[in-house]
Amino acid sequence: MNNKYLILILLAVAIIFPLVFGSYFIHVLTTVFVFLALSLSWDMMLRTGQLSFGTAGFFGLGAYMSVIVVLKLGWNPLFSILLGGVFAGLIAFLLGFVVLRLREIYFAITTLALTHVFSVIIRNLSDITGGASGLTLNTAIFGGSPVKIYYLILFLTLVVIGVSEYFKRSKIHFAINSIRNDEITAKSSGINVFKYLLLVFVITSIIQGVIGAVYAQQYAFVEPESTFSLNFLLLPIAMALVGGIYSTNGPIIGALILGIISEYLKLIMPYGHLIVYGLIIVVVVLFMPKGVYKPLKNKFSNNSLRGDANAQSSN
Amino acid sequence: MSLSLKTNKILLLFIAFLIIVGIWQPNVLMDGVQRGSMYALIALPLALVLGILGVLNLAHGDFLTVGLYLSYMLYSQFNMDPLLTMIPVTLSLIVLGGGIYLLTVKYVVDEGHLNQLLITFGVSMILIEGVKIIWTTRPRNVFTGYAYSAFSIGDYRFGAYGLIYLLMAVVVLVGLQLFLKKTRLGQATFAVGQNPKGAKIIGINVNFVYLFVFSIAVGILGIVGAGMLPQTAIFPSVGSPFSLKSFALAAMAGLGNLNGILFAGITLGVGEAIVNAIPGYSSWADLVFFGVLIIVILTRSFREAR
Repeated sequence: MNNKYLILILLAVAIIFPLVFGSYFIHVLTTVFVFLALSLSWDMMLRTGQLSFGTAGFFGLGAYMSVIVVLKLGWNPLFSILLGGVFAGLIAFLLGFVVLRLREIYFAITTLALTHVFSVIIRNLSDITGGASGLTLNTAIFGGSPVKIYYLILFLTLVVIGVSEYFKRSKIHFAINSIRNDEITAKSSGINVFKYLLLVFVITSIIQGVIGAVYAQQYAFVEPESTFSLNFLLLPIAMALVGGIYSTNGPIIGALILGIISEYLKLIMPYGHLIVYGLIIVVVVLFMPKGVYKPLKNKFSNNSLRGDANAQSSN
Repeated sequence: MSLSLKTNKILLLFIAFLIIVGIWQPNVLMDGVQRGSMYALIALPLALVLGILGVLNLAHGDFLTVGLYLSYMLYSQFNMDPLLTMIPVTLSLIVLGGGIYLLTVKYVVDEGHLNQLLITFGVSMILIEGVKIIWTTRPRNVFTGYAYSAFSIGDYRFGAYGLIYLLMAVVVLVGLQLFLKKTRLGQATFAVGQNPKGAKIIGINVNFVYLFVFSIAVGILGIVGAGMLPQTAIFPSVGSPFSLKSFALAAMAGLGNLNGILFAGITLGVGEAIVNAIPGYSSWADLVFFGVLIIVILTRSFREAR
């Protein structure tokens, strides 16, 4: 009951926000939403027990695809964003048949290597992608209006949150959890492990592609170094870890906390403000393996019985 | 018997490969061997940590970056010859490696791979950003006369400096092998790598072995860093690609096969040099390592699945 009102209030705040605050704050919150969506998509993959380091790769693929069709074919930017997602999803689908047979460390390393492979390929297809100097659009999406971009990204972020919640509530949740806990048991209970992994891999890649595309359209610019930057991998991971993994609320809270902290640090520390992310990842892994959200929730919730049941079902 | 036959075959193939490349273009062979031994040299400590601790250290390349910067600092502040900085840099990296092990990695050695990857990933970020805070992102160079010395065989002229990597790789490899086989601590390390629980039961101080191996591995990177400095332009992310490349070599050689890393390194180095030598395609050379890494991992996993 309480949660419903809280969600409505937060939603209202998010919608009214650009009418009240200036363009700097709108920009900050837009960036936070971008990383929030990436963070959720990374967490969704993690829920299957697979640690993916490919977030930045699919982000970059979506970004490039979207900019290329707008620039070379004159597509509507909004469609190009969809296409960016579809393209990333397609590549993920094809790669998934091989990559998803890998587990643990091998899956993680292969996805990290794929990110590098994507960036090398894109840098070398210079006829289409502009090579090392990248591509620049004539104008950002919506003529660069921060408010419209804000609403677009807010909408996409809400969709991602919706997908994440759907994954938590539908029967997919049980399949995914059992795969993470014990794959052999899952398989012998009749779960098609590969099918579910592929489904999650493709959906998270589509999310990353769409977010990459929207990010590229917002800045009207793609370039191999910055588009495939490991920041699009590291920051989402740190956010999910801080908030608490295996949940929807965790990454959201983590993204809000870290997004605002990093924006502040950027102002006072021109070089190396990302060190905070490294420190946070290390500290969280060592001392707070459950993140901020779950302990807080358990502390404040009246019906601790339900909280425990939830915690058990998701662990 | 069949195993030795197999290794012999691979060795013969390896030599044939080198000879063919050498006849085709001696420069490519020389460049490839120099590069390859550098890769192997960097990969050796990663493989050591992977083999003994079972931890894939994603911060590996960034320790190398720190080594390069320390060496650069000694060069620019005290005008030390880069090769002479090897000793202080190695010592300080051993301390740094030990410190980071005690603060972070120690707590995840026995945990799942997820936490190990995440924590070394975090350490990697701390090192890169720390370097940025101290030295900013401006690229730096060192000039020494000997880095550009050359020698000639017949009509061909080769850069001579890169051969130092081959020398260093062989020295480090032989040193490690001797250490593992001949000393008591080395034998204990070997035992821990094979079975940590068993090693603990027979009274080996497993935690000390872990600390020792991790510090030494990071220390070796100090040797490499000082050796690389005369030929390398340094910037904060100069070392990061080496983490993955080293893992590619370790995966190609197979776990625990330290000698194999030198061969794998030279093979991939020559492969990269070949791609580099094809006009118009030189920038595709980066793909060699990642391509091989992905292929090796996939073939291994399929073989295991069967």
